[in-house]
Amino acid sequence: MTEQPIPAMLPLSPADIRGRRQWPLPKLADPNAPLLEVRDLKTHFRLGRAWVRAVDGVSFGLADGEALGIAGESACGKTTTALSLVQLLPGNGKIRGGSVELFGIDLVQKSERAMQRYRWREISMVFQGAMNALNPVIRVRDQIAEPIQYRLDQPEAAARQRAIDLLDMVGIPRKRADAYPHELSGGMRQRAMIAMALACDPAIVIGDEPTTALDVMVQAQILDLLERLRRDLGLSLILITHDLSVLAETCDRVLVMYAGRVAEEGPVRRIFTAPRHPYTRKLVGSFPNLHTDRRSLAVIQGQPPDLLTPPPGCRFAPRCDFAMPVCTEVVPPEVRFSDGVRVACHLFPTSDIATVGGSTLEGSTLGDMTQR
Amino acid sequence: MSELLRVSGLQVHFPIRRALGDVVRGRAASAVRAVDGIDLSIQEGEVLALVGESGSGKTTTGRVIVKLTRQTAGRVTFDGQDVTDLWGTRRLRAYRRRVQLIFQDPYETLDPKQTIHDFVAEPLEVNHIGRSAAEREVMIASALEAAGLRPAATYASRHPHELSGGQRQRVVIAGALAVGPELVVADEPVSMLDVSIRTELLRLMLDLRKERHLTYLFITHDLSIAWVIADRIAVMYLGKIMEIGPANRVISVPRHPYTAALVSVAPSPEPPAPGERAKRTILVGETPDASAIPAGCRFNTRCPLVFDRCRVEEPPLIDLGDGQSAACWLAEQATSTGGIADMLPNARRPLGLASPAAQRLASQAAL
Amino acid sequence: MTGPAAAQPTTAAVRRLAAVRRSAGFATRFLGRTDGLVGVIILGFFAFIAAFPGIFVGPLEDVTTATGLPLHAPYAAHVFGTDELGRDILNLTVHAARISMTIGLMATIITIVVGAVVGIVSGYVGGVLDTILMRIADFFLVLPTVVLALILAPVILDVIGAGAEFGGIRATLLVIVVVIGLTSWATTARIIRSQVLSLKERMFVDRARVIGSGPGRIMRRHILPNVVNLIVAQAVLTFAGAVFTETTLSFIGLGDPVAPSWGQVLNTAQAAGAPGLGAWWYIAPPAVCVVLVVLSFTLVGNALDDILNPKSASRLRVVDEP
Repeated sequence: MTEQPIPAMLPLSPADIRGRRQWPLPKLADPNAPLLEVRDLKTHFRLGRAWVRAVDGVSFGLADGEALGIAGESACGKTTTALSLVQLLPGNGKIRGGSVELFGIDLVQKSERAMQRYRWREISMVFQGAMNALNPVIRVRDQIAEPIQYRLDQPEAAARQRAIDLLDMVGIPRKRADAYPHELSGGMRQRAMIAMALACDPAIVIGDEPTTALDVMVQAQILDLLERLRRDLGLSLILITHDLSVLAETCDRVLVMYAGRVAEEGPVRRIFTAPRHPYTRKLVGSFPNLHTDRRSLAVIQGQPPDLLTPPPGCRFAPRCDFAMPVCTEVVPPEVRFSDGVRVACHLFPTSDIATVGGSTLEGSTLGDMTQR
Repeated sequence: MSELLRVSGLQVHFPIRRALGDVVRGRAASAVRAVDGIDLSIQEGEVLALVGESGSGKTTTGRVIVKLTRQTAGRVTFDGQDVTDLWGTRRLRAYRRRVQLIFQDPYETLDPKQTIHDFVAEPLEVNHIGRSAAEREVMIASALEAAGLRPAATYASRHPHELSGGQRQRVVIAGALAVGPELVVADEPVSMLDVSIRTELLRLMLDLRKERHLTYLFITHDLSIAWVIADRIAVMYLGKIMEIGPANRVISVPRHPYTAALVSVAPSPEPPAPGERAKRTILVGETPDASAIPAGCRFNTRCPLVFDRCRVEEPPLIDLGDGQSAACWLAEQATSTGGIADMLPNARRPLGLASPAAQRLASQAAL
Repeated sequence: MTGPAAAQPTTAAVRRLAAVRRSAGFATRFLGRTDGLVGVIILGFFAFIAAFPGIFVGPLEDVTTATGLPLHAPYAAHVFGTDELGRDILNLTVHAARISMTIGLMATIITIVVGAVVGIVSGYVGGVLDTILMRIADFFLVLPTVVLALILAPVILDVIGAGAEFGGIRATLLVIVVVIGLTSWATTARIIRSQVLSLKERMFVDRARVIGSGPGRIMRRHILPNVVNLIVAQAVLTFAGAVFTETTLSFIGLGDPVAPSWGQVLNTAQAAGAPGLGAWWYIAPPAVCVVLVVLSFTLVGNALDDILNPKSASRLRVVDEP
């Protein structure tokens, strides 16, 4: 059997993606709007009388068929951002500012009832530790058939068949579809969770640390699977992880978060080979690379800041080797460069484009992809 | 450098209770063969990394060495003395002073009700180390400071929930150092920590090795971390060692297909070049259950280079020179610059093949 | 078993805030809950009158000091009415509090001490000892309290001597204490044992073993402090049950007429024919007191259980922030 070379990633047009969907778009969708656009999102958690400013002004966009990686360490707000997109925040969490536009529809303004239309059908999520989120007393295929049956109004038999198809697509053989969760290994359960996220044919799937508790070989399998699904189904992915190296292999663009804000964002190659923000540089440098001779690793001294009373100005300043007086006083503005990178750092006060702040999507995505 | 620890023919089998139906039907009792015959030799002052995925037996091996788990067969020799059957009190205590364990989860290793001071004091009290309370205080403070928690007094009175993950792990390290061990078994000591903190902790462990003449058995599933810290690497699969050798040899010239596959899927913070997907050998399926180990070479069910002999005869660890050994019938032939990795098909799969079985067939046919 | 899971610490100040709240705020949280607050108030009230009955009503009336008309409904001089000897019911009820609650306390101490020791040892040591102890516990679990009391009363009286007295409680009531202890320890032991079973698998117990700590030390210094919360909650609930059981046993005649508890008052009321005569004032006060005391202990116990249980959803929700 001869091998065919894998074609380079062609930019998929909105029509291509949306044409592949089985279920119709939401009624209010704007066919010309970008898939997802997040502007200045602020999500805070109530703690007693104060607010923990977990996500404090995050903006980014996602184009059709794109894979965006969100990276950062613990407590940087990446999971909170994801939960804000699907509005599944814990009881004391609240979106206090900004907008999340899906096909041009602002989800933040929607009531919980209205949000249910979009949740899982347009945007779904594979949660952290998802493999423990399966109901132990219900067979796996029934758990996946459930949203298909009730959300998409499909008869039970058809829903079950689709569930079995989905499981097969994620690599669980048909004859194991009627297994109970405890009969499956960790990797298989993670695949089942991915199938469940795909149940209603969403446009966007968010994976929150999808491979973190898995063995490295299973991790490679799952990432490979996500890659394949993205190609075959025209999915758009948001992958959230603290492990930058996972993003290097699967994403088109990477967003690096620190303490609730965006530090840097751009095409994956630029972020890894020419990081601008001091935090990104250190973060990239703290991953050991088996494939090179480099054995020395970067150290970031200090601790992430307290998000109850964050430091004024740039939140990374206390740990930054390049901190200047202005850094502790003024929040660094976001600046965009012609190679598609967006940075928020006083070391880069001006860009080589005239745009400052605002949305990232103006014509950037196609350009990014051809530059990769 | 003399040999500090030697393990020969170590086996740890956990018997599985048979259901009554099985007893009646005369089915033989089976066991989970967590460790199924390994030999290890750790030299004084070295860092030996024991690498493997879940189910490989690496953690069980570590637990047997620190005598938390009993071995089913095999011998353990420490500093020339046989310590295999040390389960009576007095000599076991002396052994515990010389061999300690750093646990994986800094959030679980510390008793939430104990102060940091009591945590570090406990090994001293239990082993009657230190001639007076004052002397013990000095030892506690010095252990905390050696682990990077300065000033010791501020940390000593705290409870675990007041500390961050990295700080807790330092406390765990201090607790292990307090008795003055020679061999430290570290079971995934940094896996649960943020990446930037890992570096500090790894550096700390290497510094302590120099200062206190420690020897480490470093257990990890992450080959990249082993690469950073280890002098020698041993790769385990389903209870046996597949390959062992100097770290840079094992990684750059692997002689066992499993090692080569692990190396190829180790994540690297370098995006693949445009138009080329990373050459990864992604094994199909998952590690078989340790109660049903395949016949012949236990890796044969997933090996991309499997042939007839593999399914029948289990290869021993074949010495390949330069301190490297591998348990593979093809190891001796894999002498090219890339080792056995050069013989592997890469991960490029034709489009349209959905099922893993078909992928496997494709990669086999390409061989 | 599997590889790493993402570490999920919170930010430094959030943790500090949580820690401060946990210690100093326990009282606030407890009293902030309706059940905790109400329970403590009622309990406090009864504890006070049990400790100092004289302040309210003077010494316990008996036949010679009774001043009221026999079996009279409540009126100005005797707000709870009188019994068949003319004694003030209020006086009786208040003094009975001391007896009922003391017995409850003594029985609880026995139950908790025995139950905790057996639960911890059985759970941690495991093996044959665990099996034996749990089978013994099973035996005690199924013993019917009343039957046991009736059978054991003469036996225990024989053992401790009919004239024995302990803490102001005489032999007949000590029988009740022993019986309650015998029948309740098994439940406590089982509950604590199951907590110990999960504790003993935790990593910090492994660590204690690896540094050479023996089982005795581990049970004392690691297991016990981590089950104290459970023990306290259990103790409170046991107390409630003990008061109720004592009331029952006294009611059926095992009580002490000289030092009457609420149950004993009810027993006397029944013997005097109060129900038939419609003398509700004789029956209602002790009965209501028993209900209130049991209720208050249950409320407090539930509140404690909820607050102290680390897995409970009502604990201060410090968000995990990965």
